[in-house]
Amino acid sequence: MTATEYTNKLQEVVKNLQEALTKAETNQEITELKTAYLGKKGHFKALSQQIKDIPRTEKKEIGAVLNDTKTQLESLIESALATQTTTTQSWVDLTAPGVKPKLGHMHPVSQAMEEITHIFEQIGFTRVRYPEVDWDWYVFEALNMPKSHPARDEWETFFVDAPTDEKMGKMVLTTHTSNGQVREMERLNSKPPIRMINIARCYRRQQDATHTQMFHQFEGLVVDKGITIQHLKGTLDYFAEQFYGPGTKSRIRPFHFQFTEPSFEVDFSCHICHGTGYLDTKEEQKCRFCKSGWHEVGGAGMVHPNVLKAGGIDPDEYTGFAFGWGVERTYTLKEGLNLDDIRLLYSGDLRFLTQF
Amino acid sequence: MNILIPHTWLKEHLATDADPKTIQENVSLCGPSIERIYDTEGDKVYDIEVTTNRVDSMSVRGIAREAAVILEQFGISATLKPQQLLQDLQPEVTELPLPKIVNDPDLSKRIICVVLQGVKRNSTPEWMGKRLLQTDQNIHDAAIDITNYVTHELGHPCHAFDYDKLMKTGGEIIISEAKKGETFTTLDGNVFETVGGEVVFKNGEGRIIDLPSIKGTANTSIDDSTQNVLLLLESIKAKKVRFASMTHAIRTTAAQLMEKNVDPNLAEDVLIRGIELYRELCGAKIASPIYDEFPGQREPQPVSLPLQRVTDYLGLEIKTDRITSILETLGCQVKVAGSMLTVTPPTFRPDITIPADVIEEIARIYGYHNLPSTLMDTPIPVTKPSDVNYTIERTIKQYLANIGWQEIYSYSMVSEEIALESGQPRDGHLKLQNPLTDDRVYLRRSLVPSLEEIIAQNKQEEQMSVFEIAHVYHPLPRQLPEQDLMLTLVSSDEYRQVRGAFEQLLRQLFIEGIAVKPLGEHDSTTVAQQAEIWVGETLLGKVLHLTSGHTALEVQMSQLLKIAASHPIYQSIPKTAELKEDLTFTLPKKTLIGEVLASLKKADGLVKSVELKDQYKQNYTFGISYWSPDQNLSSEEIEPIRKKVVATITDLHAGTLVGSV
Repeated sequence: MTATEYTNKLQEVVKNLQEALTKAETNQEITELKTAYLGKKGHFKALSQQIKDIPRTEKKEIGAVLNDTKTQLESLIESALATQTTTTQSWVDLTAPGVKPKLGHMHPVSQAMEEITHIFEQIGFTRVRYPEVDWDWYVFEALNMPKSHPARDEWETFFVDAPTDEKMGKMVLTTHTSNGQVREMERLNSKPPIRMINIARCYRRQQDATHTQMFHQFEGLVVDKGITIQHLKGTLDYFAEQFYGPGTKSRIRPFHFQFTEPSFEVDFSCHICHGTGYLDTKEEQKCRFCKSGWHEVGGAGMVHPNVLKAGGIDPDEYTGFAFGWGVERTYTLKEGLNLDDIRLLYSGDLRFLTQF
Repeated sequence: MNILIPHTWLKEHLATDADPKTIQENVSLCGPSIERIYDTEGDKVYDIEVTTNRVDSMSVRGIAREAAVILEQFGISATLKPQQLLQDLQPEVTELPLPKIVNDPDLSKRIICVVLQGVKRNSTPEWMGKRLLQTDQNIHDAAIDITNYVTHELGHPCHAFDYDKLMKTGGEIIISEAKKGETFTTLDGNVFETVGGEVVFKNGEGRIIDLPSIKGTANTSIDDSTQNVLLLLESIKAKKVRFASMTHAIRTTAAQLMEKNVDPNLAEDVLIRGIELYRELCGAKIASPIYDEFPGQREPQPVSLPLQRVTDYLGLEIKTDRITSILETLGCQVKVAGSMLTVTPPTFRPDITIPADVIEEIARIYGYHNLPSTLMDTPIPVTKPSDVNYTIERTIKQYLANIGWQEIYSYSMVSEEIALESGQPRDGHLKLQNPLTDDRVYLRRSLVPSLEEIIAQNKQEEQMSVFEIAHVYHPLPRQLPEQDLMLTLVSSDEYRQVRGAFEQLLRQLFIEGIAVKPLGEHDSTTVAQQAEIWVGETLLGKVLHLTSGHTALEVQMSQLLKIAASHPIYQSIPKTAELKEDLTFTLPKKTLIGEVLASLKKADGLVKSVELKDQYKQNYTFGISYWSPDQNLSSEEIEPIRKKVVATITDLHAGTLVGSV
């Protein structure tokens, strides 16, 4: 066999594989071709054995051609396989359902607290937390509520079975976050400015659809020179808009608390009827979500001089305001939430909690 | 306190054309909150919340007085009608002797009474019955209902004694404090024993014949045979009333009013209004002069304040004329001398005692809705509390929620059973003196039992991983308990999953390398195994293998805060590559893998990290990374190190390599 004949044969093998590959549709077919051409008993092997028939003088040159051919065959197979792989594996069924990673949930009360904290931090409030088991002094006495005062009736207080302290009185579960007022004044060494937001667990001896023995409050306290009722209104309006959405208004009405004077009840305008009390312009359909256009959310007031004094602050020099509301109540007023039994929050029922 | 006021009754005291809705809207903005309007017995009835400091508004006339002032501020014509009370109070028949009254001025500020003869037991007239129904009161007969009616109308409780029964007890009323252990029977037949200190009426023999300002006693109260009545009002000191009423849980309307300092000056009007009604409805005749002893009559104390103080609170200046007129319409006497305002409140407003009280009156009538709303322009405080970090709490909650854990809020108070599951003895817990329910009695010392309870309750879930951040309460002698914020995780997943989740959580806080050190037995029957979790020198908390098969982690937040970081310490990116290989060892049963891992890591300086990749029976496969900062390692180069590693396991843990080096 001449060198030229041999070279032609080699080129033919390459051409044959090229053709065969165009017809191959699956990986398996390509792999079969690979065996047929490059396997131990394949076409290339058979041809390479015929090199012994080539004249010795030309063997060196032909050897290089032979190697070249092998490389060509290999790369043909490789690229065919590569193409095949991309085309078959890149197709996915886009209508197939997703496989979801496991997801847990932050408790709705945590979510509400986060939101409340964020809103108040934006206007310079410092978040704090104070004891949930506290002395009568901080919970009542320092708040201008002497022992056996009728105002204490409103707080259904849990008492702890522990010895009474001579100065501090009985040990109680905090009925409100207001115990943080004098504690915050003490933390700051009675030196305003104070802008506190205290969010904590509270406890009252009552239980029904709108009350749980344990609940959460957030308490705002602002003390400085020149703090007026207008600042309280500004803070309330700011919170209402941020928490319930643009257009929500706040309103304060006269009320009474021992630890504030003047004292207010705080209402937010209903986002369903926009504060009108009616769902239509003709005022025929009453809004069933609110009480005449407004929701009562909690109490507020100008800090009573006796409370400032209890915290070591001169009431002739400083004024301040405070407010305190239930986290649950504030949260359940959110538009479209429709949560009417707050006991669910503390039930630990996952069918409820995983909705949040 | 709420009071029900029918619209037509209100209009007997208030001259106005305002309709109920207008009255509700406007009065609620500046005065007592009119929460609802009911349709009862053919009239609109206001349901009004009166705050505890404003007992003067706990009557039809009191509300009328407030409404008159407020409506006028809104430009709605309204005036309080003058009272037209009976003028001639002379005895109409042969006088009956008044009982002998011995008052103690320290106990009763006033005592006023009259004898009424020939009280017919007529039924309550329809108009009065309707009003009593509208205000949620029972109907008896006129002689009894008159006392409730006038109390509701004018706001001072009064009591009708059976005159003849009273005279039979000796004709004496001695006002004194009870001693411990005396007994009395209230008019509804309940027997009480005094604890001492209750103000009572006694006869000459020392027998209790009335519990004044709270409830009548059976031995002197009106009954079916009553013919003559002693109509009496007393003004027992508020604290004394509250003490007796609370002690014996006799919470009558009278007690709830009198414990809040009803103006004793009101007593005379109420007595006369009562006389009128007894004459009109029961045909009674005045049979005695009016007895009136008023040792507690006091002139109200003036309150002075700089006018500037009003501006300090309101943030705007109100003209002095306006201030004066507001206060005067409320019944105050006002003097302005230079920059000082001096206000003498009327007797029925004992709540006005300090400048802030005066400012409140000015501000509410001026209208809170008329004040602008603005945010503070004062400095923002910068001293933050050092022992809390809400950002880290949020990171933890968000991270755990994102990897499938459910956050729980469970009660801080638990049942005895749950309390004991903490492993602490019952008396190692703080206990509530007055729990509401049996399942909320002890302040918990661990969150684990609460979370276990919640997992058990959610039977519908096959797998559950829950966590809570809350306080536990460890009692301390004569101090507030130590209130420790805990992060507690409980899961039904297997231990390695839970631990892995926790380690990744720590990674969020840039904390790496925990050591778990097994401890001895736990005191709780629900804990099978326990170990401490350490990071370096810091004890973070505990891991518990529970008898339920669940895993629990209890981490002290204060400890976690000590080592948590907001960012890592940057390590330069390595210039050389790691060489990774797997080695499988057969280890004896109950070998502590934590210790094996530690040994592997310490085997040679070039061992960079070790992980447990697989376990099959006693065969453990470890993925080992070798790394040198100076050069890329080859398989040949690490051969001596590999031998050291194998030797370490053989020597320290009696393990044998599967395969050969």
